Amino acid sequence: MDVNSKVKDYIFVKPGMSPKDIVKAVRNLQGVCFTSVGMRDAGQSDFKNRHRIYDLATLAPFYNRMGLFSAECHGGARWHVGVMNRRESPFEEIEILRQQMPNVLLQTLIRETNLFGYRPYPKNVIEYVVSRVDIDVWRCFSFINDVRNMRAVAEVVMKRGKLFEPAISFTHADWTTNEYYLSVVRDVIDLCGGTEEIIFCVKDMAGVGSIKRISSLIDAIKQKYPDLVIQYHRHITDGLAMPALYAAAQAGAKIFDVEEDSLVRFYGHSPILAVQAYFEEMGIPVNLDRKEAESAVQKVREWINYYDWAESPFKGFDHTVTYHKMPGGAFPSSFEQAEKGGFLHYMPAILKVMSLYNKIIHYFDVTPGSQITWVTCSGIVNKYAKAKGDAGVRHLIELLTKFVDEKNLNIDLMNENEKEELLTLFRNAPGDFRNLILGHYGKLPMGWPPDWVYQSTFGEEWETKIKERMELSPLESIPDDDLDKLRQELSESIGREPTEEEFILYLMHPKDAISMIEFREKYGEAPLVLPTDVWRHGLKNSGDKVDFELWGKPYSIELVSIGSEHEGIVHVVMRVNNKTRVYTVETPRAKKVEIRMAKSANEIGAPINGNIWRIGNPERGSLKVGDIVHKGEEIANLEAMKMENVIVAPFDAQIVEICVKLNSFVVENQLLFVLEKQ
Amino acid sequence: MTKKINKILIANRGVTAVRIMHTCRDRKIPTTAVYSTPDRLAHHVFMADFAVHIGEAPPVESYLNMEKMIAAAIQSKSDAIHPGWGFLAENHKFARMVMDAGLIWIGPRPEVIEALGDKIEAKKLAQKANVPTIPGIMDVNSIEQIKKWMKEEKIAFPIMIKAVAGGGGKGMVKVESKNDLQHAFAQARSEALKSFGDDRVLVEKYIERGRHIEVQVVADEHGNVVHLFERECTIQRRNQKIIEEAPSPSINEDLRKEICFTATRLMREIGYNSAGTVEFIFDSNTNKFYFLEVNTRLQVEHGITELITGVDIVGIMIDVAMGKKLPFKQSDIHPNRWALEVRLNAEDPKNFSPSFGTITRLQIPQGPGVRIASGVYEGADIPPYYDSLFMLLISAGADRLDAIRVMDRALSRNLRVEGVKTLAPLLLSIIRHPSFIAGEFSTRFIEEHMDELISMFKEKDSQDEVLKIARYVAEISALGPQPWM
Repeated sequence: MDVNSKVKDYIFVKPGMSPKDIVKAVRNLQGVCFTSVGMRDAGQSDFKNRHRIYDLATLAPFYNRMGLFSAECHGGARWHVGVMNRRESPFEEIEILRQQMPNVLLQTLIRETNLFGYRPYPKNVIEYVVSRVDIDVWRCFSFINDVRNMRAVAEVVMKRGKLFEPAISFTHADWTTNEYYLSVVRDVIDLCGGTEEIIFCVKDMAGVGSIKRISSLIDAIKQKYPDLVIQYHRHITDGLAMPALYAAAQAGAKIFDVEEDSLVRFYGHSPILAVQAYFEEMGIPVNLDRKEAESAVQKVREWINYYDWAESPFKGFDHTVTYHKMPGGAFPSSFEQAEKGGFLHYMPAILKVMSLYNKIIHYFDVTPGSQITWVTCSGIVNKYAKAKGDAGVRHLIELLTKFVDEKNLNIDLMNENEKEELLTLFRNAPGDFRNLILGHYGKLPMGWPPDWVYQSTFGEEWETKIKERMELSPLESIPDDDLDKLRQELSESIGREPTEEEFILYLMHPKDAISMIEFREKYGEAPLVLPTDVWRHGLKNSGDKVDFELWGKPYSIELVSIGSEHEGIVHVVMRVNNKTRVYTVETPRAKKVEIRMAKSANEIGAPINGNIWRIGNPERGSLKVGDIVHKGEEIANLEAMKMENVIVAPFDAQIVEICVKLNSFVVENQLLFVLEKQ
Repeated sequence: MTKKINKILIANRGVTAVRIMHTCRDRKIPTTAVYSTPDRLAHHVFMADFAVHIGEAPPVESYLNMEKMIAAAIQSKSDAIHPGWGFLAENHKFARMVMDAGLIWIGPRPEVIEALGDKIEAKKLAQKANVPTIPGIMDVNSIEQIKKWMKEEKIAFPIMIKAVAGGGGKGMVKVESKNDLQHAFAQARSEALKSFGDDRVLVEKYIERGRHIEVQVVADEHGNVVHLFERECTIQRRNQKIIEEAPSPSINEDLRKEICFTATRLMREIGYNSAGTVEFIFDSNTNKFYFLEVNTRLQVEHGITELITGVDIVGIMIDVAMGKKLPFKQSDIHPNRWALEVRLNAEDPKNFSPSFGTITRLQIPQGPGVRIASGVYEGADIPPYYDSLFMLLISAGADRLDAIRVMDRALSRNLRVEGVKTLAPLLLSIIRHPSFIAGEFSTRFIEEHMDELISMFKEKDSQDEVLKIARYVAEISALGPQPWM
């Protein structure tokens, strides 16, 4: 047997296969297989999603030979952080990975109607986006397990012949029984027309499922649906992930999420090599080319140290996650916000309040639910802290503990003062919390929260608000967006026709997409071609250089010197492909000469660059503030290269402001006049 | 009787001065450059053997200042002045002053300049020589006069208002409708006054979809007049040419003969000397051409004629100024190539807004079939006070397609200008446009195809892209990790 045919053995699924064939291939596999989350969830859980495609792509050649079920490399918060912080487009990432690991199924994580964002999108946006993203496996979850919300994504994915992977959000609570989950599974199977063309995922995003609990759940599902292929996605936060994976495998789960051992920290997934060794020792065969997996683990070590700065400051496993349920992905970002907001010391109190809040309002702490929980709870804690300091925070926890643990959530058993307090507890809750309990995201897994929560949130309006609750899925209730209009809007913001991909980024995150497009216009492909140390720190010493390739040609940038700062300006001398260039860099202390631009209809801007040599016209002479001008009347004249350009009043108006001096150079669209329509 | 020229002062700047200095250098005639304050370190100053500061930035204080110009010639011991094109080139008073100061004027006689510089006078001369002219009225003082003429002659809009003393597209306004008449009239007069110190205008019927064809003529003081064939200058923006070619693709051999002989006849009748150009507007619908004007100077686009005929027109002007006879007869002139010129202006190619500043990087095209006249060097400034033309690119080939191919290479592969925006992307779009390649265009080609031309701009170029990356590296090297990361 030669090497090539051995390699072939491990590759059992490939892009282009039909969902049915993929499902069959997994079923026929002796033993189990892996999804590597090294390119998405590993970074999201422990490194704030900062892993750059530049580094991740180094793993692709190994993945290509490893025999994975899939590589999760897309979706979740990676999309938004890519746009906002790494300045990489998810479309570019897919293109790079497709090229470098053509054998591997690319997997995304999508938030049903919330897609890759944090709010429900209209149906036409969902269909537009999903049909234009080149992904093989679509893992789709609902933070409220409202299967109705998955319909639009499921339909487009299945129609395109791609593999749909519905996921149930799992948590460990008294209300999340096997019966509850089986009802969700039933809905899912109904939605997907059976078990032949889907992979089903149990998503334990916080890492809270105890070994027996998970064994019992998988077993119950397999008993009822023996043909269903189950994938288990389990974070490691509680420290018990590996035995839980093994229990799930014994109960019949077929695919497991793992990541490179060298990427493992505290909130992500189990180490690939260790899980493989553990399973094999326990007699469960794993479809994995161990040598390639070892090489990938080793490769990570070449770049992982560049991301130390992005790690969560809250280090170590945390078994109390089983109370507060904060998911792996939310951990680093929550701590980052607490640090920036100056309330890091209240984190234990916030986590405690979260664990109590979870018992009052039932849903799953995963995006966007985890953000709603975080903002609501951290907001309440901060409110108490501001009013009464540490004592206030202690009082809040006592109040909620009493309500939840002693009075069993019965508000009538609380005394009048406490009742009053609870009835204002959510008064400052964020808009997303309000939307959630009004049904804007869909129906909550255990039905609506008790009435007092509405009273507490909305005050006197609470009864009206209860009447406004939506029973329909947002898919039915949100009106379609006018895509042509949105495209026009984007086009106006960036001053040119956007590409299809830019438009999709804009549909997801309008503000951040524009900022990224502007960044890329200015800095080109810097995010894709620069090594991570240069990307983050630049070049430090004279003679330091960075070599890279762009569009098939070699380039080199070498630092010659960085000048000292003078009036907010630093000169950087570099050799770009051997040619010396001087760059003027403004520091935050640079004086900004702000040129006012004409923005609205009553502001008259310069048509082109040039010299304003006349304000007014020959008939009436010069103009001043307060003068009345008539439609079509010349109000100024601009000369550029000896050509005169007449600037006329667009309507009858009074001059409110003249913003230029006579004989001054102006730039195109610089504000010349402010007029008031008469 | 021939005179000797020992040193030439070039009363101009930029590309113009550089071009003339090339020939002076060939002839081993020393040159004097003049410069205004912002031009102190300009390319033409370095190229000359001697340079004189003549004043501040505004042209009236420097390049249009006749007294200073004469004084500079005397101070630098120059014995001849070449005015180039633009500035004082068609100023008969200046020509007289030069001669009165005992210097040699390299150009036509002042009386000829004066007569032909006046559009009314020129039109009359043309009519006298049986050259067809555009229907119109002269000496217009009011819009009522225009309305009356339009009514009587059954002329419909658009019409053209032109400064009597005008040239170079300045003081020329096209009027589309009755509503615009008042404005246009005032604007033309004002521009005329400002550019030429003469606010007289004339009005003509606008030839729709006309083509601009001109004939290069050279003449000596001994009555010899020879044409160097025609040039096509139809591609214009705002009445200023930006692409020229020779020969013209619009006319056949018969028309070529006719137009060239007509031009020669007119110049002979006028008694022209030195180099000059007879401009025509050609109506391709009717195959008729009409006299526009005579340019009594060297023209920007003379280079394409030089390439197809092998004649150095600047050299001829110097020879003629020294009293020499033309060294050839009409029968000696045999154009045997096709040449194309593009004007590289420092302008935004999307809206022609001027782009001034320092040329931080300059790579000048080379390779077979390319001729360049550059008014700048790497590191030079393009000041905001003067014309935005800073480089002429000329290509030559065995036929038109060949010349276009060479130009395409020069613009798309070799040329690189950083620091200011240039028309290069637009020029490239034009020469790649199927209608241009097919020779189907009018003076409105650019306005009619602007959106399409812009959409043809090449989006990205790896050299530009790498500079963006370098800028990023520079900023992060200086500023360290950023909060947005």
